[in-house]
Amino acid sequence: MPISNAPSLIPYNPNLNGNPASATGSAYPNGNPALGYNRPGVRNTDSAVPLHASGPVVHDYASDGPAPGNLALRWIYGSNVAAKNRDPRIQVIQYNEDSFILRQNVCTHWEAPFSYLLFGNERALLIDTGATASARHYPLRETVDAIMTRWGQARRRPNLPLTVALTSGEDIAQNQGLVQFADRPGTTLQPKPLEVMKRFHKLSAWPAGTGKIDLGGRVVEVVPTPGTHKDGISLYDPYTGFLFTGDFFYPGKIQISNDKDFVDSLERLIEFRDGHPVKWVMGGHIEMMFVPGKAYPRFATYKPYERLLQMDPALLDEGLTYARAVAGKSLMLIRPNFILLNDVSPDQRTTVWPESVPNIDPPRPF
Amino acid sequence: MQPEMQRRSFLSLTAAAAVLPAQAALKAATRAPGPRIDFRRSDAAPGAFPAKWICGSSSLMDNIDPPLQVHWYNAHTAILRQNKAYSYEAPFAPLYFGNDRVLLLDEGFTQLRTDWDLRGTVDDCIESWCGRNGSNPADMELLVAFSHLHADHYAGTNQFADRPNTRYMGLTHEEMLGFWGMTNFPEQRVTLDLGGREILIWGSPGHVVSECAFYDSYTHILFTGDMFYRGRCYISFWQPWFDSMQRLIDFVDAHPVSHVMGCHVEISSTGEDYPYGITWQPDEAPVQMTVDDLRHAFEVAKTIKEPGIYFTGKVFLCNQSRGTTTIDRNPYRY
Repeated sequence: MPISNAPSLIPYNPNLNGNPASATGSAYPNGNPALGYNRPGVRNTDSAVPLHASGPVVHDYASDGPAPGNLALRWIYGSNVAAKNRDPRIQVIQYNEDSFILRQNVCTHWEAPFSYLLFGNERALLIDTGATASARHYPLRETVDAIMTRWGQARRRPNLPLTVALTSGEDIAQNQGLVQFADRPGTTLQPKPLEVMKRFHKLSAWPAGTGKIDLGGRVVEVVPTPGTHKDGISLYDPYTGFLFTGDFFYPGKIQISNDKDFVDSLERLIEFRDGHPVKWVMGGHIEMMFVPGKAYPRFATYKPYERLLQMDPALLDEGLTYARAVAGKSLMLIRPNFILLNDVSPDQRTTVWPESVPNIDPPRPF
Repeated sequence: MQPEMQRRSFLSLTAAAAVLPAQAALKAATRAPGPRIDFRRSDAAPGAFPAKWICGSSSLMDNIDPPLQVHWYNAHTAILRQNKAYSYEAPFAPLYFGNDRVLLLDEGFTQLRTDWDLRGTVDDCIESWCGRNGSNPADMELLVAFSHLHADHYAGTNQFADRPNTRYMGLTHEEMLGFWGMTNFPEQRVTLDLGGREILIWGSPGHVVSECAFYDSYTHILFTGDMFYRGRCYISFWQPWFDSMQRLIDFVDAHPVSHVMGCHVEISSTGEDYPYGITWQPDEAPVQMTVDDLRHAFEVAKTIKEPGIYFTGKVFLCNQSRGTTTIDRNPYRY
């Protein structure tokens, strides 16, 4: 049966075409089939790729708001007996056609860090590289290569150059996979030493100012955010509206390494957020549980009640309020969506439960 | 349901060794004829610990080690250790063989037999021992006990629930005392006769109330459970722990001890702390310690007046510090 490209005369039917109250806020979460690709004035692209492109596809990354994507899933959460885990070593989620979220299996490393792979017309950007160097245990490069090959075939853009950026060059939970890209052709690696990294991102006024990584129509901004790591940066992608914060701000036990820097960076990041449409703050890990204020301990390899990854950007304000509260003190402070640890052991516990936060015991899997 | 006295029939109590005869004699008569091993010696039976135990891996899902490492300390003593990739607690569990009984102390931190076949491994050990010594595995009574009442030491107990010729300890303080026939815990010292091989057992509360110390009169190994081991000795109750240490010192004053052995190892060979929950200890210290280590720790303990974490050079004495608070620091602090 021939497929007509003409606009359909069938009226919108939420039962058939999707729920208007869907997570994406779109009447057609999977795209209105009646519309063509990238028509003039398109907000964003649900389907950017022509079926039979004759040359390199140029995609318009300009959009009025955050490009939609799908993150309605439960992350793979490890096993009670880690040795018996047979889940994929890297969970790959295609958020939308040009944005991928990669998560390391918690049974290959307990940190279970997230990496992000973003595509533009001229370049791809990998943010963070995971906690395991061994390609046999954690085939990050192989996975990235596979995604880029497939993406390149669809866009007629083979051998797309790749930039690998790290939210912190010193964080061994995020920089270990970098070695896998050492000899990769067409690849630019963010250098690890702080001074060289500043030059790389042209952050001469560190920690003020921002840098840019131009992916071709999609310009990712680099915001210096030292505080948990002295070389910490956050990255902002205007296309998805994601603010990638790595270890600096994430749903988990945030270990503040320098409280003054942490507060200053949060202030700058909030200022940045107020000037840019941020949809979600995307951290580098999840340690919180699905109940407020409770977190998994370090080294846990079975986390069936994890909180979501994405954080509301308004939580940065809460973070700043309580970062000021812990500054200068040796303190663990619990909030519903994150925990601040300042100058205490990473395993610190506290008997102080915050007021007005429901104290719910999470189910124990054992 | 067996009456109380019969339940204790395997014990020859130091005070009144009156209960043993009837059933055991009957069993001895029906037992397949084999040379009974003479476990009596004037010195400690020789034995060896491995140079290195299986100690986890950097990537747990790539761990291909057995769930349970079996090390034969000598021909009549096996020491089992759970793989760190199956449980981060990775407890050690001695398996003592006598002519009539086998004693398993501790059952690890994983419950299901489909996850780790503790029972099958113990059965294999018993079978191989019986093969070497000409006895029938079905005649060997298996005693499944735990050193103390914590889940990382009894989780696998249920695997033995339907095993023939097996007694296992109930998961309460009272059942633990009843199993050993103790009426005056923790001072009372009872003697468990495995058939020519005697295990001395007495209370050593402090880490937890329900804990015992075990002395094997054959190898002279003093098994101190979680009350004293090479790692973080979490002392929940200081005075009972200190008294238990005094009892251990009194014991080693009067008895020859070849090794002091605890349930875990949480320290590297250079004395570095492996933080709570870690699943890879590539450079871990040996499990066995010396009597001098025990004496030294007691001397250090005498100086401790405040709650806190104290390092003796061999072990951490965590006096009423919280279970997962370690001496670990944020490595990125600047």
